[in-house]
Amino acid sequence: MFIKNSDILQDQEEFSEALFERMKSINAGISELELYEFRYCLKDMVPGKGWETVQLEATNEIEARFNNREFYGRIQIKPRVAGKIVLEAEIIRLAQMLFVGLVTGQYTADWVTTHFFFDIRGFYFLHCTQYFSGAIKAYLGGAPYRQFEQKQRQFERWQDVGYKAFKEANAEVDQLFMESVKKLIAVRGVPITIAIAGPTAAGKTEIVDRLTKAFGDTGKTTTSIELDNFLTDRDYREEKGIHSEGKEALHFELLKQALQDIAQGTRISIPRYDFIEATSSHDLGGHLKPGRVPIVIEPAQIVFIEGNFPFLLEDIAPLVGIKSVYLTDDPIRLKRKWKRDIDYRKKYDFNYFRNRYFKDQFIMAEIAYRPQMEACDMIVDTTGAALWVTPEIKRILDGS
Amino acid sequence: MAGTNRLNSPAQFSAVLFEIMKRINLGVDDLALLEFRYALESLLPQGGWETIRLDSCERIDQQIGSREFYESIQLRPREGEQIVLDERIADMTRVLFAGLVSGDYSEAWVRQKFYFDVRGFYFLPRTIYFTDEVPAHFGGKPYRSFEQGQRRLERYQGVGYCDFQEANLEIDRAFIEIIEKVVAVRGTPMLITLAGPTAAGKTEITERLCNELKTMGKSITSIEVDNFLLDREYRDDKPMGKESTHFELFMSSLRQVLQGKTTTIPRYDFVGATSSHDLKGNLKPGCTPLVIEPADVIFMEGNFPFQIDEIASLIGIKVVYLTDDPIRLKRKWKRDIDYRKKYDPAYFRNRFFRTQYLRAEDIYRPLMKVCEIVVDTTGASLWVTPEILKTLQVID
Repeated sequence: MFIKNSDILQDQEEFSEALFERMKSINAGISELELYEFRYCLKDMVPGKGWETVQLEATNEIEARFNNREFYGRIQIKPRVAGKIVLEAEIIRLAQMLFVGLVTGQYTADWVTTHFFFDIRGFYFLHCTQYFSGAIKAYLGGAPYRQFEQKQRQFERWQDVGYKAFKEANAEVDQLFMESVKKLIAVRGVPITIAIAGPTAAGKTEIVDRLTKAFGDTGKTTTSIELDNFLTDRDYREEKGIHSEGKEALHFELLKQALQDIAQGTRISIPRYDFIEATSSHDLGGHLKPGRVPIVIEPAQIVFIEGNFPFLLEDIAPLVGIKSVYLTDDPIRLKRKWKRDIDYRKKYDFNYFRNRYFKDQFIMAEIAYRPQMEACDMIVDTTGAALWVTPEIKRILDGS
Repeated sequence: MAGTNRLNSPAQFSAVLFEIMKRINLGVDDLALLEFRYALESLLPQGGWETIRLDSCERIDQQIGSREFYESIQLRPREGEQIVLDERIADMTRVLFAGLVSGDYSEAWVRQKFYFDVRGFYFLPRTIYFTDEVPAHFGGKPYRSFEQGQRRLERYQGVGYCDFQEANLEIDRAFIEIIEKVVAVRGTPMLITLAGPTAAGKTEITERLCNELKTMGKSITSIEVDNFLLDREYRDDKPMGKESTHFELFMSSLRQVLQGKTTTIPRYDFVGATSSHDLKGNLKPGCTPLVIEPADVIFMEGNFPFQIDEIASLIGIKVVYLTDDPIRLKRKWKRDIDYRKKYDPAYFRNRFFRTQYLRAEDIYRPLMKVCEIVVDTTGASLWVTPEILKTLQVID
């Protein structure tokens, strides 16, 4: 059926040239590369025995696989060849299939971009994670409370996204979110705990910083708690196979106690997680390890709690006054992470970074973000430039 | 020391440093303070900034002008499994940070001696390519100068080829014209060698030159000098030259090609770091040599000391193609890290820091004193010898 194109698979030069053209319609940023730069990138993805040996799966089989949690569960984040961490075999296979299918015409550009996005710097395809289910939209009144021009569109061509450009693109929706929080607090009073949940690199820390400053300017006292500080030692979590989402991954009793205490105006002393060593200042019994220093937090009128799942846990949710989710789509977060964690913090091995991002987004959406979205008060969707609120919150904001 | 108290508070230190660094490198202005702090984190001194001992400017000057300093830089120092930035490199950046904040080092002095790479987040000494002897060799002034298009790239964190090519548009065009004219006047066959530091743009300009000459109806062949390298184990880190290459083969191949004969040359395998030929110059069993067809113009790209007597007489035009270190480093980030994913970033930073000075001293400066053309893409200046100028005047 595709015999007319089979020659092209045997000629690497011709293949890469045809692919280069196709890829420009998948990701506009490819146009900023020269063909030879594109070829440099492609080198790692060329199958050992040539493009003609890549077996293509039917589109429905691919869709089924990429919407299945077990598939992601099996993705290894540190597979090694000769001691070096390499890109996971499934990730390479997906890229090879899509490359070949795009060149032969078996997969349309439309189908590919509906289900996958291509990250230029990582030079690989990733699945588009769905955050808004029908149930979530229904829970939030069926439509956004407000929507603005989607200025993150300009980032589609970029290879990485820095903080300044990101902040500018989100200015309108961020502004509305901050005003809405202020209104809610004016109605509900202080002290209050505000949770900001959201995926990695969505922009949680920055928005908390800005809220803190805004409230500081109006004379309110604020403080913030990072959920990550309650993580137990990574060795323990990895040994037990605990994905970092549940009670078991945290000093849960300490967290619960801390939130209760600070809500009553008591100074708290919480664990300190060392990100470099990946260890907690506290042992599994919840006691401070010798020589370690906890974090002391003074009570305040407004307490922010920020993390991946600050109100996912049943016992914690009732302690939170305003439950918000701060979302940014996967392609933009990945570009932010390249800049922040690779360029600035120089934190990860490239392949570990690429494997882990590929693996985590689907799993975390399923176990942490969608469940919180179904139980939150408001969602900031920065990529969609939309603020979603529950009907109850809408009534308060509209002052009726 | 003035402003010592600033050194005691990390938050104040980073805020003050951030403002100063915006003036040292415009690109820092594209960062938010928060991002600057992320980047600074890996350089925080154990005992705080107040524990950094500042050297005198004279002492630093001396250090960055000495070969031993660069030779002492380790490429792969490790902490546990991870390759880290060499301690001397990290210390130099820390000292400059602390001195800038305390006011002991002036911004002007720092900028004159160093440049700051935003993505690598470290200072590197500026390598000097144009010693006084170079302009003298080229009659005192450049043949032509253009607007410095690369200025625009100063803010960028990575430089891709499209931007680079656009910035060099005028000087590249002028360079290609010179070559075309010299070839037209002096006739063929002609051997042209092109040397230049890593990521200066050698491969791209060679490709464009070849295409242009082809449209003039000339046949072209190009030879990468690296193919003449001996197996790595026999080179013992010797710089490229007679000792580290199949030099006899090199000479005989050049002569043959210039006499219009097809010749075979060794093939160097970069992955295995071995040559297709043994030390006696015989083809190893199972290896295939490269076949070079005769042509009107033979390009030789690579960093061989083309000035040595035996070969200098065979070469028609010796070109050095230069781009300043800050721009090359940004090109390399993009090409070798973002696109090729070839290196560990810490190894990459150590290696770039270590090699620029050494290579300038071993290869480029000696060659610039005797070559026929220097293309300085950053300065947007073309330098040609009086002899080349005479040749050009035949046509003009």
